[in-house]
Amino acid sequence: MSGICPEWEKIDPSEYKGIWVYMQVERDGIHEASLQMLSIARMLAEKKKTHVAGVLIGYNVKKYAKEPIYHGADEVYVVDDKRLEQYYAKVYAHVLVELAKRYKPEAILVGATMKGREFAPYVANSLRTGITADCTSFDVDPNTGDIVQIRPPFGAWMLAHIKTPNRRPVMSTARPNVFNVPPRDEKRKGKVIIEKIDELPDPGIKLIKRIPIERKEEIPIEKAEILVSGGKGLGSKEGFKILEELAKEIGGTISGSRKAVDAGWIPHEKQVGQTGKTVKPSIYFAIGISGAAQHIFGIREAKRVVCINIDPDAPIFENADYGIIGDYKKVVPALVEVIRKLRKRAT
Amino acid sequence: MGLDIIVGIKWVPNTTSVNIDEKTGTLIRTGVPSIINPHDMDALELALKMKDRYGGTVTVITMAPPHAKMGLEHAIGMGADKAILISDKVFAGADTLATSYTLAKTIEKIGRYDLIVMGQETIDSSTAHIGAQLASWLNIPYVYYVIEAEYLRSSHKLKVKRLMEDAYEIYEVNLPALISAAMHSQHPRRVSLKNKLRTKLENPIEWWSNGVLKLNPNCIGLKGSPTIVKKIEFMPKVERKREICPEKDPVKAAEWLVRKLMDEGLLKL
Ligand SMILES: Cc1cc2nc3c(=O)[nH]c(=O)nc-3n(C[C@H](O)[C@H](O)[C@H](O)COP(=O)(O)OP(=O)(O)OC[C@H]3O[C@@H](n4cnc5c(N)ncnc54)[C@H](O)[C@@H]3O)c2cc1C
Ligand SMILES: Nc1ncnc2c1ncn2[C@@H]1O[C@H](COP(=O)(O)O)[C@@H](O)[C@H]1O
Repeated sequence: MSGICPEWEKIDPSEYKGIWVYMQVERDGIHEASLQMLSIARMLAEKKKTHVAGVLIGYNVKKYAKEPIYHGADEVYVVDDKRLEQYYAKVYAHVLVELAKRYKPEAILVGATMKGREFAPYVANSLRTGITADCTSFDVDPNTGDIVQIRPPFGAWMLAHIKTPNRRPVMSTARPNVFNVPPRDEKRKGKVIIEKIDELPDPGIKLIKRIPIERKEEIPIEKAEILVSGGKGLGSKEGFKILEELAKEIGGTISGSRKAVDAGWIPHEKQVGQTGKTVKPSIYFAIGISGAAQHIFGIREAKRVVCINIDPDAPIFENADYGIIGDYKKVVPALVEVIRKLRKRAT
Repeated sequence: MGLDIIVGIKWVPNTTSVNIDEKTGTLIRTGVPSIINPHDMDALELALKMKDRYGGTVTVITMAPPHAKMGLEHAIGMGADKAILISDKVFAGADTLATSYTLAKTIEKIGRYDLIVMGQETIDSSTAHIGAQLASWLNIPYVYYVIEAEYLRSSHKLKVKRLMEDAYEIYEVNLPALISAAMHSQHPRRVSLKNKLRTKLENPIEWWSNGVLKLNPNCIGLKGSPTIVKKIEFMPKVERKREICPEKDPVKAAEWLVRKLMDEGLLKL
């Protein structure tokens, strides 16, 4: 049998133009992960000589319509509807699918937040197009003009270059915090296009209750300027107390490796790495962390990596700027001491 | 009447034991054992718990090469009633669209079900696509990241609790539906001897090739996949200074480090 799957509508890829970014709206505005996608979208649009559009879906979201434009979009599609007050993956997906059918974008980018990862594959499937998850970079093939989606499959050693040559739109989710939010410029001008969707599907689910999790007033690790990170080598939960001393002294935030999370020493949202978070501090302290590929993956964007490890052969030394060979129980208190002394002398 | 539950599992190489050949720069996969994707064990446990509580059946499905039968035997050993191995050369090379299509057609052929439970993501491809795509093919409600599920018999609905970044959310879900179990949310049970014997005595594992499913070759495998892997390359290393402190004494080492960081203006007093 030749030809295409009868489940797929025939399409002409050349009719599809523009790079879209889905704008996830939370209580306090547009999610940073969505704004970060605008920097990829801009890069792709420059290379392809096309435009960038943001898509806002929800209720009372019109007030954010200018934001994507200030951050680099040329236009923004807005579907502002009381029926969209509550996010339901299936319903939001339907709205994006309808817009994509009306305007035929070449690509749709979605930040790989928890909601993004839940809803984007439904959109792709409804459009019978491919989707590539959790991309960490993008490019345009200079010969064919195809968008190249780059992601780490299989551990964190390899990168796969993935294309969607014959279906449109090309869909990708991209990893939060790998890309920067383009600078905000209120002088930027763009078009706001208000759209309506008549019929919405029944999500088949109903939110009964939302119980916010009380978090201490802490800086999330993905935003921290200095991270003091501990691993299995700390030996116990108490080890993190020693790290906290250092963190307090230098205004750092605590994070850790997966083994530290699995041991129950720190919560999951503080995990750095492939299955944790990508972080970009100016200093990353890796203490009692061996430096497995999956961990290193999360600190590629760190400006400086400092490691303290008792084993001179630990791979972390290969991936650090400054390494100290030694027992953290001695080195970390010494660090605190030295900083305190210098501070005293300075005043 | 209880709940008829379908669980999707993936048979994956145990990536914790995959290593890099430093000389050739390739993945050493030979001799790497495969396992049930660990996050699918959460899905299976969630399903088995519901069966224990409300009655019904658990059917496990996987699209995989023939040796995945071992994984299905494990699932039966944990207490699943039945398993289907979807295996055929024509399914090979499928991306998530083609995989989800094949799984959807399998489920349509199974016919009756109340609930589908998936893992949050796999450890080898970690896309978390299949659940949503399957829900799309079957046009059923779906919710990701579920940590607890309760069956409301009188209304034939599910009440689920899920964990997001900043909140727990409780939903009522119309059945049939698909949920994905949050990773690390369950404590998967061990294989029991009694259940394990069933794999030998009762033949609870069926093998469905495309001779059984009769799917259009343009919709499955490599041909049914819109995405194409063009190239796989080594991740470039980030260049680091790799300076090792020459001092053995902790205080001297600390002074060395503080000076380095202050000279760069990264650490301020
Ligand atoms: C699919 C997949 C995804 C993964 N995702 C992640 C991820 O997101 N993040 C992550 O971190 N890992 C991840 N991992 C796990 C990763 O492979 C490693 O197992 C993990 O990072 C190791 O954690 P660790 O360095 O804390 O522990 P270990 O590897 O056990 O290292 C402990 C280190 O502490 C040192 N040490 C011991 N005592 C002392 C002391 N007194 N003073 C100083 N140093 C000491 C030791 O020399 C050793 O180097 C993933 C694995 C897989 C398969
Ligand atoms: N080949 C497969 N056969 C059956 N179920 C699968 C298969 N691949 C993925 N799944 C299910 O879909 C979930 C998400 O997988 P993935 O999209 O690959 O991250 C997994 O946790 C499994 O529950």
